[in-house]
Amino acid sequence: MKKVFILGIICLFFLVGCGQETIQTEEKYSFSYNNMEFVLGDVFTREKFGTEIEYSEVASCAFEGLDKTFKYEHYEITTYPDGEDDRIYSIYLLDDTVPTKEGVKITDDVSKMTEIYGNDYTQQGESYLYSKNNTTIQFYTSNGVIIGIEYSIVMDN
Amino acid sequence: MKVVRVSLILLFLLGVFWFLNLLVSPKYIESLVEGSMISEYYDSPKNHEVLFIGDCEVYANFSPMVFYEEEGISSYIRGSSQQLIWQSYGILKETLKYEIPKVVIFNVNAMRYSKPVSEAYNRLTIDKMKWSKEKVEMIFSSMTEEESFLSYVFPILRYHSRIFELSEEDFTYLFQRRQNTFNGFLINQNIKGVESLPTKRPLTETRFADITYEYLDKIRELCEENNIQLVLIKAPSLYPYWYTEYDEQIKEYASKYGLDYYNFLENILEIGLDYHVDTYDGGLHLNLHGATKLSKYFAPILKEKYSLTDYRDHEEINAYYQKELEKYYREIGRGV
Repeated sequence: MKKVFILGIICLFFLVGCGQETIQTEEKYSFSYNNMEFVLGDVFTREKFGTEIEYSEVASCAFEGLDKTFKYEHYEITTYPDGEDDRIYSIYLLDDTVPTKEGVKITDDVSKMTEIYGNDYTQQGESYLYSKNNTTIQFYTSNGVIIGIEYSIVMDN
Repeated sequence: MKVVRVSLILLFLLGVFWFLNLLVSPKYIESLVEGSMISEYYDSPKNHEVLFIGDCEVYANFSPMVFYEEEGISSYIRGSSQQLIWQSYGILKETLKYEIPKVVIFNVNAMRYSKPVSEAYNRLTIDKMKWSKEKVEMIFSSMTEEESFLSYVFPILRYHSRIFELSEEDFTYLFQRRQNTFNGFLINQNIKGVESLPTKRPLTETRFADITYEYLDKIRELCEENNIQLVLIKAPSLYPYWYTEYDEQIKEYASKYGLDYYNFLENILEIGLDYHVDTYDGGLHLNLHGATKLSKYFAPILKEKYSLTDYRDHEEINAYYQKELEKYYREIGRGV
């Protein structure tokens, strides 16, 4: 009986552990605007996100496929090719009318960013990068003020 | 007798292993031709006074055929896609074993990369290089975390899955090569003008990484030791953005060591570039038309500034270039 109990406890630990891991892997940075949800890695279509005001394509040096950039009034979406589809690679916020889901926007200062996102960032010059499950949010700053915000997916080479 | 039999079996197995390695290795002749450019140099006559090293911004934007036609300059481009600065250094070192040019031209775009970018690009530069100390050094300095040195020695370790994807190209070019460039220049005649470019991101690091300076120093010192004039250039590619902060650092470096630096982005009007028609991919690379304009602009500068030889008076070299020019114009006429 004692053995069964110990076994039960161990199983419970495993189950709890698995459950927690599942929740963690679902947590990714994402952006929303006007009731639209922008999830990094999702398939991009104009039907879903509307027609852009500017469009550009960037080819790689040797490989097939194009990175496409769709510029809207307040943000810019860059996609990467995946077979026939284009998937969202990054979302770059262009002005202070579009805050992140957590409530930080361009023109806010760095202290607001750390208050909301914490101090677990990687700093590179004047930019701060937060990572979560293969997604990142990067705050570009100048003199302590946020001047750019970008969501990206971490791609394997 | 048993020893002989075992030896023969071993020899046979080694032969099969060698053949399989050869078979599954990408040939880079009809697809991903950028992977064959570094090795094309080995077959060329070694008579070059000017050597270009660097990334796609050299092999797409400058035409040695135009340099020759305009000013009789003999030049070669040892460029490759996303060629990192330590790779440029390795390629320069390797080239100096074959010949000592008068001028080495390095495109500084690679200064922005301080670590290996991707295995795919490493392969395009390194796979077809001849085995040498430089190649070994280059592999170790370029490998991403997922790569192994052994997979460069035995390609089958990396490309074994290609055994199910072999194409005609793999058999046709199993034991032979085909020339895809003209002295390292890869012709592209497509037109895709610039409509718009992605928004410029703020710079995260304004200063180039120490490692890139370390290799720029090595390139400079190697040139000095061999009495070669090092020239720095920035090709007129509109994207990725060449930031003012980058440009200032190169100007500072050039001035410190008495080097010439040509940032062709500052001469777009004089060159006559029209980005609606002179680029094949929306501003990253020039097409044949754009590269011809840029080369015609740069040829007299090169000739005069570095007192280069006019090889049009040299019987043997002229004969080689005339033959190449004939092929070049045939290729252009055909519409590559």
